[in-house]
Amino acid sequence: MKHDDLDSDYIAAALPAFISEAEEQLDMLEQLLLQLEGTPDDRELLDALFRCAHTIKGSAGIFGLDDVVSFAHHVETLLDAVRQGQVALTPALSTLLLQSKDQIRGLVALASGAPADEDPALATDEITRAALVARLRVASGDLPEGAAHDEPATGGSLPTASGQRWVISVRFGADTYRNGMDPLAILNYVAKLGTIQRLACDAEGVPPLDSIDPESCHLAFDFALDTDATRSEIEAAFSFVRDDCVLQITEPEPRPGAVSARIEAMPDSIRLGDILVGSGAVTRAQLQQALQSQSATVDAGGQAQPLGQILQVQSGLSQQVVAAALQKQAKPRAAAAASATAAASTANDNRYIRVQADRLDAVINLLGELVIAGAGAALLARQTRSGALIEANEQIGQLIEDIRNGTLQLRMVPIGETFQRFRRVVRDTAAELDKDVALEIVGADTELDKSVVERIADPLMHLVRNALDHGLETPAERVAAGKPAQGKLTLSACHESGSILIRIDDDGRGIQRDKVLQRAWDRGLVEPGVVPPEDEILKLIFEPGFSTAEKITNLSGRGVGMDVVRRNIEALRGSVNVFSQVGQGSRIEIRLPLTLAIIDGFLVGVGSSKFILPLDGVVEVLENRPTATRLDARGRSVVELRGQVLPVVSLRSLYALDSPDPLRSSVVVIQAGTRRFGVMVDQLHGQHQTVIKPLGRMFRSLRGISGSSILGNGEVALIFDAASLSQLAADVPDASFRSPRGPGVAGRPASTSLEG
Amino acid sequence: MAKTHALPADLTIYAVGDLCPTLLGWVGAARGTADFRVNGAAVDQVDAAGVQLLISLGHALCRKKRRLQLVQASTPLATACRVLGVAHLLDTGSTPGATA
Repeated sequence: MKHDDLDSDYIAAALPAFISEAEEQLDMLEQLLLQLEGTPDDRELLDALFRCAHTIKGSAGIFGLDDVVSFAHHVETLLDAVRQGQVALTPALSTLLLQSKDQIRGLVALASGAPADEDPALATDEITRAALVARLRVASGDLPEGAAHDEPATGGSLPTASGQRWVISVRFGADTYRNGMDPLAILNYVAKLGTIQRLACDAEGVPPLDSIDPESCHLAFDFALDTDATRSEIEAAFSFVRDDCVLQITEPEPRPGAVSARIEAMPDSIRLGDILVGSGAVTRAQLQQALQSQSATVDAGGQAQPLGQILQVQSGLSQQVVAAALQKQAKPRAAAAASATAAASTANDNRYIRVQADRLDAVINLLGELVIAGAGAALLARQTRSGALIEANEQIGQLIEDIRNGTLQLRMVPIGETFQRFRRVVRDTAAELDKDVALEIVGADTELDKSVVERIADPLMHLVRNALDHGLETPAERVAAGKPAQGKLTLSACHESGSILIRIDDDGRGIQRDKVLQRAWDRGLVEPGVVPPEDEILKLIFEPGFSTAEKITNLSGRGVGMDVVRRNIEALRGSVNVFSQVGQGSRIEIRLPLTLAIIDGFLVGVGSSKFILPLDGVVEVLENRPTATRLDARGRSVVELRGQVLPVVSLRSLYALDSPDPLRSSVVVIQAGTRRFGVMVDQLHGQHQTVIKPLGRMFRSLRGISGSSILGNGEVALIFDAASLSQLAADVPDASFRSPRGPGVAGRPASTSLEG
Repeated sequence: MAKTHALPADLTIYAVGDLCPTLLGWVGAARGTADFRVNGAAVDQVDAAGVQLLISLGHALCRKKRRLQLVQASTPLATACRVLGVAHLLDTGSTPGATA
């Protein structure tokens, strides 16, 4: 295998890792920029910012991603000027750098083969890029003010060296006009690169009037151009007619020293040819010719004549220029080696291993099957009544549980990474709305399953935008209301009762219940004149088609978002709630399960049916008590627990199960948020590792049920969602209780506490 | 005195197809050996295709031993001629844009 093949194989294999790392670096770059808005002179942050851009550029160079390298080079140049104190990091500059970061992200996505992003911020067309390059160069002092508007789509234009005279000969193709191009405009543009001298029009090529096709171009020009521009920049002036003209650019007096200096100023690259073409030392055509010659010189041992030597012979390239280019070529390789060493060292320090998410998912799926199979084996072992076999199975079961916990822990990621994304959203959206908003993030290190994190990002985005758009007021409105001009939006997360609780708080205008109710009446969501309970009114905002926005903006207010938000959250076995005080602000509270895969459950039975309650929510069990509670029509009642009234719900009645009430039953006490309630069941089967399977379509509308699981004996058990079951239980029971057996509330039952 | 022909306002790729027969008519009708004067005062839009047509006109006149002279060329026309290296077509004495 040839050396080049090895290189390309290595690059193809390592590209995904580069993409992933580049995305991380870009995220960090964005976070640093946002942090620096508060402390623009923080040298450590500025250095870290520069390192991000430098790392992206260096790594991209190793993979031959020239567009990324060229663009990142300009970002790096500007950041260097910023950290040297030559350029101040103003909010406008910060915006430019954030846009540049978006551009790099788009280019990286393009390199990964991802489909073009619909987000206009990630547009990677040459015109957008060239405009950004021009602005970056102006900001770093590389271009004079005002040049940004005239800059053509040169994309990867390079730093210039001292001025020199180029001799240019161009013969435009016959279709130039028909393709919408105008040599006059092109020459006008070339004139902006420097000074055109001795321009001669080859008028002899133009046919006389009786034989001319006036819509075909017959023009050709020869001229000298005194300019600081590189060959690439001059070629770029002809880029729109490049396939439709014959262009020759020659440097009559090549100055190796100037070219070497230009090579030194170029972005790093691992390809000698790219360095030489980029510096203007040779043309792309000369390079192609030399590469063809090189291929022809490969000997039996696979060795070819060095490219530099061939170019010296064929194109008269000086030895000094070749040496400078070879030195430049060696740099990224050395940097890559150093980077690999540093990465190894970092990995050693932090003991991190990067694992593909797919592989982890596959392991977790297998683990789910192992848990079910293990439960089956344990059941069979119990049936044999062999003590040794039962003990061995219990040991295996314990190991499976340990593996399960350890494996699920691998998928846990801090929610802070998701929260941090909203800094940019808040910054840009607030600016768009002329609002001043500070974002506070609390509990960023709270961990939850990666798949939950990924799926909660969109609903959170909508809620944050909604708070910015509708909740928070403009500075003038806030001052008039006696509040500080700057609004406050808080994103917080914490663990609570085996769930994760995410809150979005704002200190805005709050939600007006009367307005909500009026809209609900108008939209037919509530029968006109009927006033639902206070806490139910606010929940109407999650109903499909509901919107209180007086004007529709492009951010929210179309009334199509909040119901989707609720649906997405409920699809994650979560719940969403809203609290608000008029004039004080609003709080959206999202409760989510920590994981979507496997939970510790508490297995109970009603008749022949099995149910699983999430163990985290089980507080205690009132065991083996007489089934003598009076129930209302929906199976709800109350029992006394240590002098307190505890609402209870009978699963048999609630779900209309076909089995007779037993003489004695148990009550499992559940804590869901701030509510505590009891669930009446027939049998208690104890703790059970529960592999969560999605519910079939038929069962999705069942209130209180969030999933299903397969037991060791193949039976299916339904999994309860503690929060929604608590709502069923907490409603005040009707006055007309039915009493299936005997009167009144039973006396104090035996209590088994599951609390530590 | 030789007749002076006037160029239209639009001397671009969009007009050259229609203008070419007109210019041929001018050449066909041309008599004598004096400079062939074409007034460019009205030209307000010009591109390389328009200037190319004037070069072609110059070639046609050359065959008849005559020389094209653009008189009172508007600034856009004069500028285009200079940029495209055919300033010799301009009658510098009568061209407003000649010294611009």
